[in-house]
Amino acid sequence: MIQIAYKREKCIGCNYCIQLAPDRWRMNKKDGRSVLLGSRNKRGLYTVKVSDVEYEANKASAKVCPVKIIRINKLSR
Amino acid sequence: MKNRTIEIMAPAGSWQSLQAAIQGGANSVYFGIEQLNMRARSSNNFTLKDLVEIAELCNKKNIKTYITLNTIIYDHDLILMKKIVDTAKQANITAIIASDQAVIGYAASVNMEVHISTQTNVTNLETIRFFSHFADVVILSRELSLLQVKEITKEIEKQQIKGPSGNLIKIEIFVHGALCMAVSGKCYMSLHTTNSSANRGACIQNCRKTYTVTDKEDGHQFDIDNEYIMSPKDLCTIGFLDQVLDSGSSILKIEGRGRSPEYVKTTTQCYREAADAYLEGTYNKEKVKGWMSRLTTVYNRGFWDGYYLGQKIGEWTGAHGSKATKKKIYLGKAKKYFTKIQVAEFDLEAQHLKEGDNILIAGKTTGIIETIVAEIRINDKQVKGVKKGDNFSIKLNHKVRPSDKLYKVINN
Repeated sequence: MIQIAYKREKCIGCNYCIQLAPDRWRMNKKDGRSVLLGSRNKRGLYTVKVSDVEYEANKASAKVCPVKIIRINKLSR
Repeated sequence: MKNRTIEIMAPAGSWQSLQAAIQGGANSVYFGIEQLNMRARSSNNFTLKDLVEIAELCNKKNIKTYITLNTIIYDHDLILMKKIVDTAKQANITAIIASDQAVIGYAASVNMEVHISTQTNVTNLETIRFFSHFADVVILSRELSLLQVKEITKEIEKQQIKGPSGNLIKIEIFVHGALCMAVSGKCYMSLHTTNSSANRGACIQNCRKTYTVTDKEDGHQFDIDNEYIMSPKDLCTIGFLDQVLDSGSSILKIEGRGRSPEYVKTTTQCYREAADAYLEGTYNKEKVKGWMSRLTTVYNRGFWDGYYLGQKIGEWTGAHGSKATKKKIYLGKAKKYFTKIQVAEFDLEAQHLKEGDNILIAGKTTGIIETIVAEIRINDKQVKGVKKGDNFSIKLNHKVRPSDKLYKVINN
């Protein structure tokens, strides 16, 4: 399992995460910021636990994020 | 010249800077809302909710308010863009500064005043005539010379080029602050190196770093003249503001939404005084000297004239970061203000403070206060100085609020 964490407030809507991991990210056209699908919001920090299969794509999203607000953590079983 | 008004426009990257701009005597302020502005990364942008409060505060003081909505716009930004324009209109914001046609077209369609951003790179009269269908103010490209600016303003008047308001198009130019190596800020470097687009307000400022050139054949490396060859010095026009104003520009813009409130206050004050001196006919070298020495106390990369006087290539800064002659050190927070006796109470969380020190207090409503410590008291007993952990009070003519930040200002 991996955990994806996302600080949405700082998103500038560049669209990169969606390009690289389209199964996990969508654009919210109402406010022009990315949405981390399936995530829960705790005081502005959105998190979701997903399978290792999604690691590569989301790691790539985190790497290109211009404002560095995506973190991918590997969870021990 | 008698009926002429000159507008000094100050940057408001935060509540503190907004207050500092007002204190400095700005006639107008500009700021970003949400993420669609050129300082999406570096300044603390306001939210849609803040709009009404900003408009009320500024309208009361007769200060014009401009929203920068001047990034590249994608399809997924359109709803937010329209929401910002609509909310601004409802809140009585003066105008929208725009560069993308989507924003220009939409704002004009709902009768919101439009200013054409410098990002649009306007360099000639015909482009101004084109934009006059939508906009009342055009911010010219920073690469023009004052002679070119003068020609443009002269022709606007001669040919009676008017905006939607029915008034002649006003020309705005940058007079102070950061310049970058790219033409009108249209830079690809930040995107190229870190996916961080300058044109979406996320510039990581590659040009401010130092680089070495390597000879690929033998591996020799060269530093070029020990200069930051892509990092221009800051624009400063106060030394030839008479020529700037002779060019017919009516709005003078100060760059710096990413800079501190004391920068905003000092630069706004100096340019306001200089513009007034010009109008009164008392602008002179002696005064310029005074303004220059004040301007060097706040953030700057060294100064040059920009392209206004016709110089063809840039002057590069010789160091990273600021050459300001003064800097501030965080000391602590305000706790209480006793209005009747004009005494402010503080908690010192770091460093130390003594009589005669220069201090600066900054806060959302307070703006900034700069003064010298006259007398320090702990538990109503006078002391020479205080150290970390002390709770103390000082005499202060201006009201401060709880959580306002206290700094010591020292020479750099």
